[in-house]
Amino acid sequence: MPVERTTGGTSLIDVLDRVLDKGIVIDAWVRVSLVGIDLITVEARIVVASIDTYIRYSEAVGQVSSASKPAQVDSRTHEAVLAENEALRAQLSAAATDGRVRTRRRRHAQAV
Amino acid sequence: MPTTQHRRTKRTTKAGDGATQAAAASPAPRAPRGDGRGKYVYCIIGSTEPLRFGAIGIGAQPSDVHTINYRDIAAIVSDTPLEVHDATRENVLAHERVNETVMRDHTVIPMSFGTVFKTRDDIIELLRAAYDAFCDVLGKMQGKVEFGVKVLWDRDEMVREIERDDEDVRQLKKEIATQKGSTYFARVQYGRLIDQALQTRSERCVNDIFETLGDVSVASRANKPIGDKMIMNAAFLVARDKEAAFDARLKAIGARYGALTFKYTGPWPPYNFVNIRLKLERAQPE
Repeated sequence: MPVERTTGGTSLIDVLDRVLDKGIVIDAWVRVSLVGIDLITVEARIVVASIDTYIRYSEAVGQVSSASKPAQVDSRTHEAVLAENEALRAQLSAAATDGRVRTRRRRHAQAV
Repeated sequence: MPTTQHRRTKRTTKAGDGATQAAAASPAPRAPRGDGRGKYVYCIIGSTEPLRFGAIGIGAQPSDVHTINYRDIAAIVSDTPLEVHDATRENVLAHERVNETVMRDHTVIPMSFGTVFKTRDDIIELLRAAYDAFCDVLGKMQGKVEFGVKVLWDRDEMVREIERDDEDVRQLKKEIATQKGSTYFARVQYGRLIDQALQTRSERCVNDIFETLGDVSVASRANKPIGDKMIMNAAFLVARDKEAAFDARLKAIGARYGALTFKYTGPWPPYNFVNIRLKLERAQPE
């Protein structure tokens, strides 16, 4: 079967697939609140919460695997960070109740 | 008076009540007020000069699409009622139509559907606040467009093919047909084999397509296939000067896989390759 290209705007499904949650996205809350509130310059300012271009994944891992990579890479990093957070938190609370840890650290810092 | 103006917008918006309250509670408004009009943002481009694209904007009476410039970038906007736009067919296609028009001569970072700002100043603030991010992404997307490739197959046809080609399956099928007693376990086994074979075939096929398109594209993303006929739902980022090569390569693949149906769309703004999340942070009231 011959492969024919159609321009984007001809298929509603393909358009919806893209425009609803991809590209530059402002929090849903914001979009609603835009209506009727004296906006940014008065009450709030816009900040960049995250920025991603998917090019870097393909450069790093090659074309084929790039396909499904982003989500996996993200989630793994996320989990790792969560685990690390957990560990650090445990250390912190241990340090708070147990003076020795803190002392040892300080000593270490002095040595360095 | 702020309240009068907000009452005017209230009729058209779901958020009317909350908005009216919030506005009443907010500090004294600044001029100029948009008189119930807002600005719909379609995309961001790099440009130092003001541009116009004609009356192709969103809404029942398409208004003039033009730029709001800040340094060397610009937002593509049109005037629109200050309301939440429903994702109707007309609205969504209008959003896309503007993007496609602007894309002909510019690299765009598409805005997701339905973003309306109240005033020109708010958009300048957007451009200022996210300037570095926009410039970074504009640089990376320079001269590149997105293409969509969906691949569908006829599952029944594939099953017939597997029954023809796969020795084990063929054997099992014969067994089921000739066996006298219960064929339950043979049938379960048959189903499992077919599923495995389908899975293997679709993976092999999809990998092959990704690989074949690899060196004529900059990046690719696999989205989740929709429905059980679709085996591939991908987007490719392609440099403008590789567009013809990409086209030819895909047509060759189509010729090689005669049994598959290809849905090939584009060029699109690089929706699948740009992800900029913005949020509002509360500032201290002056």
